[in-house]
Amino acid sequence: MTKAPVKPQNVARSNRKWIIGYSIAGAFLYFVYQFLLNWEGLPLGIYDAIYRWMPPAAVNESLVYVIMALGLNIVVGYAGLLDLGYVAFWAIGGYCAGWFMSEFFYFLKVHFFGSVPAEAPGIHINFWLVLIIGGFVCAAFGVLIGAPTLRLKSDYLALVTLGFGEIIPQVFFNGENFFGFNISNGTKGIVGVDPIPVGVKNLGPFDFGWKLLIFLLLTAVMVFISLRLRRGRLGRAWLAIREDELAASMMGVPLMRTKLLSYAVGAFAGGLGGVAFATHVNGVYAERFNFAISIFLLAMVVLGGMGNVWGVILGAFVLSWVNGNGLSAFGAFYNERFGTQVDFASFTFLLFGLVLILMMLFRREGLLPESRLKLVLHEDDLEEATSGKKAK
Amino acid sequence: MSNVLEAKNISVAFGGLLAVNSVDFDIPKRKVVSLIGPNGAGKTTFFNVLTGLYKPSAGTISYEGRDITDLPPHKIASIGIARTFQNIRLFGLMTAQENLLVAMHSKLKSGITSTILRTPKQRREESAAEDKAQYLLDYVGVGKWTYEFARNLSYGDQRRLEVARALALDPKVLLLDEPTAGMNPQESSVFIDFVKRLVSEKDISVMLIEHDMKVVMSVSERITVLDQGEKIAEGSPDQIKSNARVIEAYLGKAKEARA
Amino acid sequence: MQKFKGTPGQIRRQRVERIGAISISLVLAAWILVNLLESPQQFAQVAILGLRNGLLYALIALGYTLVYGIIELINFAHGDLFMLSAVFSSYFITVWFKQDESNPAGWLTFISCLFAVMAFGAVINVLIERLAYRRLRNAPKLAPLITAVGMSFLLNFIGLKWNGSTPRQWPTVIPNGDIYIGEVRINMITILLFVVGIPLLLALNYVVAKTKSGKAMRATAQDKDAAALMGINVNKTIAFTFAIGGAMAGAAGLLYQQSIGTTNYNLGFQLGLIAFTSAVLGGIGNLWGAVVGALLIGLIQGLNDGLPIAFGQQWSQSVVFAILIIILVFKPAGLLGKVTTEKV
Repeated sequence: MTKAPVKPQNVARSNRKWIIGYSIAGAFLYFVYQFLLNWEGLPLGIYDAIYRWMPPAAVNESLVYVIMALGLNIVVGYAGLLDLGYVAFWAIGGYCAGWFMSEFFYFLKVHFFGSVPAEAPGIHINFWLVLIIGGFVCAAFGVLIGAPTLRLKSDYLALVTLGFGEIIPQVFFNGENFFGFNISNGTKGIVGVDPIPVGVKNLGPFDFGWKLLIFLLLTAVMVFISLRLRRGRLGRAWLAIREDELAASMMGVPLMRTKLLSYAVGAFAGGLGGVAFATHVNGVYAERFNFAISIFLLAMVVLGGMGNVWGVILGAFVLSWVNGNGLSAFGAFYNERFGTQVDFASFTFLLFGLVLILMMLFRREGLLPESRLKLVLHEDDLEEATSGKKAK
Repeated sequence: MSNVLEAKNISVAFGGLLAVNSVDFDIPKRKVVSLIGPNGAGKTTFFNVLTGLYKPSAGTISYEGRDITDLPPHKIASIGIARTFQNIRLFGLMTAQENLLVAMHSKLKSGITSTILRTPKQRREESAAEDKAQYLLDYVGVGKWTYEFARNLSYGDQRRLEVARALALDPKVLLLDEPTAGMNPQESSVFIDFVKRLVSEKDISVMLIEHDMKVVMSVSERITVLDQGEKIAEGSPDQIKSNARVIEAYLGKAKEARA
Repeated sequence: MQKFKGTPGQIRRQRVERIGAISISLVLAAWILVNLLESPQQFAQVAILGLRNGLLYALIALGYTLVYGIIELINFAHGDLFMLSAVFSSYFITVWFKQDESNPAGWLTFISCLFAVMAFGAVINVLIERLAYRRLRNAPKLAPLITAVGMSFLLNFIGLKWNGSTPRQWPTVIPNGDIYIGEVRINMITILLFVVGIPLLLALNYVVAKTKSGKAMRATAQDKDAAALMGINVNKTIAFTFAIGGAMAGAAGLLYQQSIGTTNYNLGFQLGLIAFTSAVLGGIGNLWGAVVGALLIGLIQGLNDGLPIAFGQQWSQSVVFAILIIILVFKPAGLLGKVTTEKV
């Protein structure tokens, strides 16, 4: 096991390669969806293929998942805490958008650099501000949820977070009458969210190209935050906790505080994703927030490699595409070809269940492993007989 | 105050079992003291109490005059009580340097925002921390493995790295849990010299739990003996060597024939 | 030996816990009393219903607590095993043997189904352990946990395909009719559940306490390595544990399906959480704790759903979950568990 030491320069160089690679991919995506699709000269075959296999809505939705997966990556991947209720943050973020960027509070009239005419009822705060608000509100909830629960053992923590991931959406689901207050319009949802102001124009629900750019920007923000934090003392503390929390605490790392921070930062991403998603579907609909999403996100992080930002982006994009569009598109294709009637979209649970099980059994470090993670997840496989090596 | 750490009347009960029974223990400034006793005497339990891992069922601990009995382990570590582990507990998949940087967690001040923005202040702080880490790595003798995964180091180097990591806490008290386990006589001898050098060069006290009598006798300025959770003797190496009760406690138990 | 109270900090914390426990108990008692006085007849009926549910939860909770006691893993898939057992029962009785009425043929089918579904549950659970969990027994905690979650999803999928995505109704072969104790109406179904459930629990208790395998199980749960050194086949013992846990879930599935009459692929998640909360409430690893906890939870839930002064059915899950959080935060050892400081 003579793995070459990961010198700082190597890490930086590897990161740079990935940044460049993903930037190119992002630019390419933007080019396709903003310009190529709108070009009259585009051959019909290609146009159809793109719309069939990867319509713009699907790409944007996948990016929302990427953003949230990056958030979960901080909790599960860096700090090693199994959070099975991440969907709660997505919901809270979404409803922040619903509260502060729509006519939901029709009896109020608050405008703050909003993107709708000043006569419109409701609260209309600028999208960019709402992003930040949503992020911080979620971070606060992360701390709230974490405070009583992070002392628990990993099994209990997983179950409790699962519970929160079920309860909080349920609160919104029943939210039409929450102790007398209507906080979510219940199952009807909040329909209609303000467009995104970008100086020259306002982006509505069909401005996929521009939205793509914004979602890419949000992804970049989360990547930036992740990498920077990982490099500093907080990231090191997280990794130490993940590996040996007892030793970490005996070396001066305050466990509760550090774990809470991982929840807060992770939840922040959920807020960003939630607000972004609300603008994507132009509303906030309670039934979209179900516990299965938390498990999907976990599968994305596991598939990509826990702690590896680049792998998680790939894993999230691929899995969310497969779940959202890929399965049904493939299903239609397959059924046409073979005259069958297989409902591929219903295989989602099978897919995600298998991803989790097979990855844990056979490739715990993920598809694109963070080189160091390979070691910690295979502790049990290593021969203890030969204690240490004479590294030359 | 000539004692940097004072433990008074410490008792530890696990359910119905009294592992440590009313033990007093002081660590004087800039001295090397040892805690010995046959297996099952309660040494490790007592050791864990000193570092805050266990809370005593009775008794108090004070450090530099301050009561630390109820402090959480990370707080105890940050005020200057550092330890190593019997079974090495390094962060195997972090580099040697990072292991030390983790231990400096409580000394670094940068918050989330300055870390994300990589402010000049944060960069300077990190750089200074890395310099200090390198210095400590050199001091213990693993200076060339700075960027190596801790897991890849040889056993001896891992032990040294653990000491370096503990030193990164700027401790006044260094608690070593069976530091020479697995070492041959030459390595033990090197280690003894290192401990003596450490105490004379730095303002630090060292406490050892040890089974190797040769090491204990040659490095300690005072030895405390526990048996069945009670303190049965305390004194200089010569006094302990000839103490009848101590000899009796070890008789009948497989004596580590290295003395 | 002297009685140690602990350090000042510990004493303070114990006091807080005690105050918390007392206040919660007072609130609970007050709530029960108010409702009891409001409408005693409704109270009794709702309480009986709650206890009946509690019996079901107990059967499922036992599976959780047995497995957790022996390998310290929350088998997330256990609730879904219960769900599959319910679906299995529905097919066994109604589709394969075409019984839909309460007559001797129906009852015979019911009894054979009981054995069949218990075998079904046992086999599936043992398979899961063998294929997925065994390899990860010594892996860092995150790995088997994630696998358990994945397994839950897998079973969910099977349930989805087998049962369909919408709830299905099934006829029951349990005799219909009520008996009356004073003004309180008790359904035959309730009687049957107790008639079947209680012997099962007693049988389980016998197996665990008196048989050789049961003793091996308890030994392994306390100290795996020591048990192995004593000649106990740890693998077989763990498989045995999964088997009886699965059998209990199987029986619960049948009882649920025949009493409530519906199956839904989502069943596992809902009841799984409740059952696990019961296990924790009673003290994880403690079999009687699981039963006591389950009966309590069933009671509280029944009261909450049925009584006039309560949160109501839509908050049912939140109430149970809130109980879980409170227990885990204030008294993680549960009602019957012991707080032991582990020697590190």
